[in-house]
Amino acid sequence: MICDFEYFSPKTLKEALGLLDQYKGDYKIIAGGQSLLIMMRQGLIKPRYLIDIKGLSELDYIKSDPQKGLRIGSLITHRAIEKSPVIKESFGILSEMEHKLASIQTRNWGSIGGNLCHGDPAGDPAPVLITLNGTLTLTSLKGERRILVEDFFLDYFETALEPGEMLTEIQIPPLPPHTGVAYTKFNVIENDMAIVGVGVSITLASINGHCKEVRIALANASPRPMRAKQAEEILRGKKITDDLLSQAGEIASQEADPISDIHASEEYRRELLKVLVRRVGEEALLRAKKS
Amino acid sequence: MRKELRLIVNGQPYELYVKPKSLLVEVLRNELGLTGTKRGCESSSCGICTVILNGMAVKSCSILALQADGAEITTVEGLAKGGKLHPLQKAFLDYGAYQCGFCTPGMLASAKAFLDENPRPTEIEIREAINGNICRCTGYNSIVRAIKAVADGEYKEEK
Amino acid sequence: MNRKYSVIGKSHIRVDGYAKVTGQAKYTFDMVLPNMLYGKILRSPHPHARILNIDTSRAERKIGVKAVVTGKDTLGRKNGAWRRFPELCDEEILCREKVRYIGDPVAAVAAIDEEIAEEALDLIEVEYEILPAVFDPLEAMKEGAPKIHDHAERNINVTRRIEWGDVSEAFKDCDYVIEDQFHTSSQAHLCMETHCAVAHFGYDGKLTVWTSTQSNYYIQVLLADMLGLREGDVRVIKPPTGGGFGSKFELDSAQFCAALLSQKLRQPVKIVLTREEEFIATKRKTPMYYYVKVGAKKDGTLLAKEVRVVTEGGAYTAMGATALYLTGFYSSLPYRWPNYRYDGYRVYTNTAPTSALRGFGAPQAYFAGESMIDMLAEAMKMDPLDLRRKNAITPNYEVPGQAYIQSCGLKECYDAIEKHIKERGKLPPNRGIGIGNYGFMSGGIFNWFNTPYAFSAAMVKINIDGKVDLFTGACDTGQGSDTTLAMICAEELGVHLEDIRVHAEDTDLGPADLGSWGSRETLMNGNAVKMAAADAKRQLLEFACAKMKPNVVYDLDIKDHKIYMVDRPERYVSYFEIVQEAIRAKEGQTIIGRGHYTPHRKGMVSPAFGFGVQAVEVEVDPETGKVKLIEIVTAHDCGQVINSVAVIGQVEGATMLAAGGGFCEDQPIDNGKILNPSIGDYKVLRSLDMPKTVGIEVDTYEPEGPFGAKEAGEGLTSPTAGAMANAVYRAVGVRIKDLPITPEKVLRALKEKEKLKEKK
Repeated sequence: MICDFEYFSPKTLKEALGLLDQYKGDYKIIAGGQSLLIMMRQGLIKPRYLIDIKGLSELDYIKSDPQKGLRIGSLITHRAIEKSPVIKESFGILSEMEHKLASIQTRNWGSIGGNLCHGDPAGDPAPVLITLNGTLTLTSLKGERRILVEDFFLDYFETALEPGEMLTEIQIPPLPPHTGVAYTKFNVIENDMAIVGVGVSITLASINGHCKEVRIALANASPRPMRAKQAEEILRGKKITDDLLSQAGEIASQEADPISDIHASEEYRRELLKVLVRRVGEEALLRAKKS
Repeated sequence: MRKELRLIVNGQPYELYVKPKSLLVEVLRNELGLTGTKRGCESSSCGICTVILNGMAVKSCSILALQADGAEITTVEGLAKGGKLHPLQKAFLDYGAYQCGFCTPGMLASAKAFLDENPRPTEIEIREAINGNICRCTGYNSIVRAIKAVADGEYKEEK
Repeated sequence: MNRKYSVIGKSHIRVDGYAKVTGQAKYTFDMVLPNMLYGKILRSPHPHARILNIDTSRAERKIGVKAVVTGKDTLGRKNGAWRRFPELCDEEILCREKVRYIGDPVAAVAAIDEEIAEEALDLIEVEYEILPAVFDPLEAMKEGAPKIHDHAERNINVTRRIEWGDVSEAFKDCDYVIEDQFHTSSQAHLCMETHCAVAHFGYDGKLTVWTSTQSNYYIQVLLADMLGLREGDVRVIKPPTGGGFGSKFELDSAQFCAALLSQKLRQPVKIVLTREEEFIATKRKTPMYYYVKVGAKKDGTLLAKEVRVVTEGGAYTAMGATALYLTGFYSSLPYRWPNYRYDGYRVYTNTAPTSALRGFGAPQAYFAGESMIDMLAEAMKMDPLDLRRKNAITPNYEVPGQAYIQSCGLKECYDAIEKHIKERGKLPPNRGIGIGNYGFMSGGIFNWFNTPYAFSAAMVKINIDGKVDLFTGACDTGQGSDTTLAMICAEELGVHLEDIRVHAEDTDLGPADLGSWGSRETLMNGNAVKMAAADAKRQLLEFACAKMKPNVVYDLDIKDHKIYMVDRPERYVSYFEIVQEAIRAKEGQTIIGRGHYTPHRKGMVSPAFGFGVQAVEVEVDPETGKVKLIEIVTAHDCGQVINSVAVIGQVEGATMLAAGGGFCEDQPIDNGKILNPSIGDYKVLRSLDMPKTVGIEVDTYEPEGPFGAKEAGEGLTSPTAGAMANAVYRAVGVRIKDLPITPEKVLRALKEKEKLKEKK
């Protein structure tokens, strides 16, 4: 049963930030509410004030610039990202990822910002944004600060958002030449939450050159979306081979810290990570060569 | 404290006063008496409560009614027009795309929003469109056939 | 066979269709009555505890709360569907002394809205003495295990033996003998409409209950008994029902608590179970431990089968006792075993009670049995389809001491599936096709419920305009029985489907019927309806005969609103005309036909059996163990098809449910707690997961069925899990004996196989 709360629907960002400041500690922000309302229904969250930012048109934009990269307002829905021609063109991996995120109904109403702020380690957008080296803008009355997506998540359902702060924008730098990005999640039922998920981006020095840069991000493999930095290390600067990718998988599997739950045991998740890091790495490599 | 809410549901404007915590599905069913739309879970997972909001399929159990302020909503009751069934409804009848019927209103809403956006879909696209809707009776394939039949022009809208 | 029908055997839009596709169908879930209250149920958080005290005073004082009831407000009776055996009626519903599973009801509240009722639950203080609990049936059977019911030594609830021939001797004559063990998991019915009821106990002392149910007759009888009322003072009305699948033919907590609260308040009370309650506190599929031993001669003749089963009963008997019997019987099908022995034990545990789920013990039997047949075929280096065909039941076979089987289309099914497999040709790596077959009852003969009425009955009333009212107690839960019965009625009476109005929703109107379970409706109710229609037709024909004055060698029949001479069809009179004349001649009385059906001299199980063979094609990812369903082809024998589109729906729906059970659906339990009580965590197949399905109906005629028809709904859940296990084995060489076949289990098995290879 959802608790009673006082409801505000600010029309401007400024107004919203003012409300956050005023009700510090006792509020919850609702955007699409696709995750929040479930938790409120279960009585896990009982805010006194609910600040509905769904109507803030200021945060509803996708801007793309060849030099500066991509900027996405935090209220952009999953479906808008999935369908955006600009994103399909320049960051196809985001559309691909969104296409398999939950159901169309959820994607139609849920926002990318809400998904990130929910802080579920099994979410799909975070690992993809980490592989893309994304950053976030957090805004409060005091001003703005930038944080890397990979630094935003602290623990299960816990993020770096301070009281009074709101996620307002996601930035993704332009992809360097010869870069390929791929993401895959493993699940038993299609489009379900990831049992584990793996995102890899590979930048080659030249079409058939060595690996100049690599980023590997894992979903549901630790209490927060994580980067598999040791696994990256083994690939960076080398000519990528199947064997090397297998090794990266082994290492990623070791540096991960997955849980055992009803959907999979820790051991099985580690097995999956080995396979997926290799497979997704192969796909990213292929794409890098094609790009 | 109740707040004012304006909705256009199946073409009819409404002005209501609702509790902020009221979900859209609760307002549709309890305030407006549109019980065609059902509820099946507490976890936004079954899709039974799907309605069309400003052209989009959404789960009405996962939206605060106040968030839909000003929106145009279509529920299963609004599919038939002027006493004539919508092509999807006819196809569902002919293809046996329902059994117990409890998921049917949400299924139809997903199907309609989808075909409005993508009138010539592939089979896999149809399956993606209804993947958020659980049906425990039919095994889905008859539903996919019914939607495909409409997309293929087997049913025309009666004027 | 040349059978010309004008209504049956084709596809018809269902009689409930228009209401369902327009949102006009009004379910119990949608009902609101004037002055109605809302109820909520307080449930035990402990798997096993003694209730020391319940203090409801704070809840009662809460504004908006109208009543709180506990076990003390009941007559203290115990409820159960096995009414011939009083010790098996063991469920109080509102517990008085002890709770036996997490979710066992202890109190119920009625209030002016759901929110207040729910808040009031928090104000009820229950003092428990926690008792040691036991969750696994094998543990519960041991000496010294916590005792769940006083009457049940070692927690053994029911035992069953089925035996013929001499199994021990026969194994000595076998050239091949293999034995193995299996485990089947639980499964939730997941009806999209959760259990719900609106009860109104009037000041006249009469109770009306609207409820989502598979048997309004059962609910009427059980409620009357629990509340100390005469059956006739309890009226049960079944609005459209949002799914049943075996979960809605026993008295449930929503029905009982709503009725009890209403009895106290004389106001309507509505209770709708939450999805979580639905998962933890309604009946679920029975998990079973299966031990199987089979033996065969070199030439492929199956000689002996021995089966021992222990089922996880949960806290109460429910219809689980029937599942224990049926799983033992089905373990012998569909083969001609000359020697067979089954020993089954149903054991109480401190878990949610287990019962029927579409298949009623059959899917468990066929998972173990069909896996074993493939294993035996491999040991014998025989083709698994040939081994099945060689030993399959043929028409007019007697299962010794159990059942008489008349029609059986297995041979045609094998031919169809063999053709399909041949057409698929050589499969790519990691692909495999597995087969499974089954036989399934068309309604049970057993009467543990102890009804004094015919199993099915029907009444047909023909009105002055030729419209026909069909009264039946059948319960359409979505499978389409209203339409099937209307079609049977129309066919027999020679009228159109549109002429029939079905009244199947109300115990005040329809005759008693056991309800919609065990694939009863088409055959049992169909026979009753056909007989009632024939009775009404006979009355019309008397008048027609007087009018047409045919030579006595001619007989009359009705088709397409024409009453005609059977061998001179050009000579006819109008059905409508004769109806009007007949009613006038009967002093204005409508024409009424009556029909009933109770199987006699048909053995112990069922008067007829549906059969089928299924081929499941899978692709296994050897690195992750993930099993992808590619295609499921089912050749099945349901006798004469009544409504084609409904049969297709049954094939596909059953396949989906069974594939889910084989593939992902499970209810893991830790210390008595079901760990995934939400649809987010309980995984079911969705549209993207559902493979291509092909249904092939083979043509047979069942002499015991209406127009030759038999079951086509439940049996189809039987072969899938076994066929999947066989397909996975053929794809990657590992055999999973523990359902569901999850990727994790497949991968573990692959790794173990790898290790064994290395050792060698």
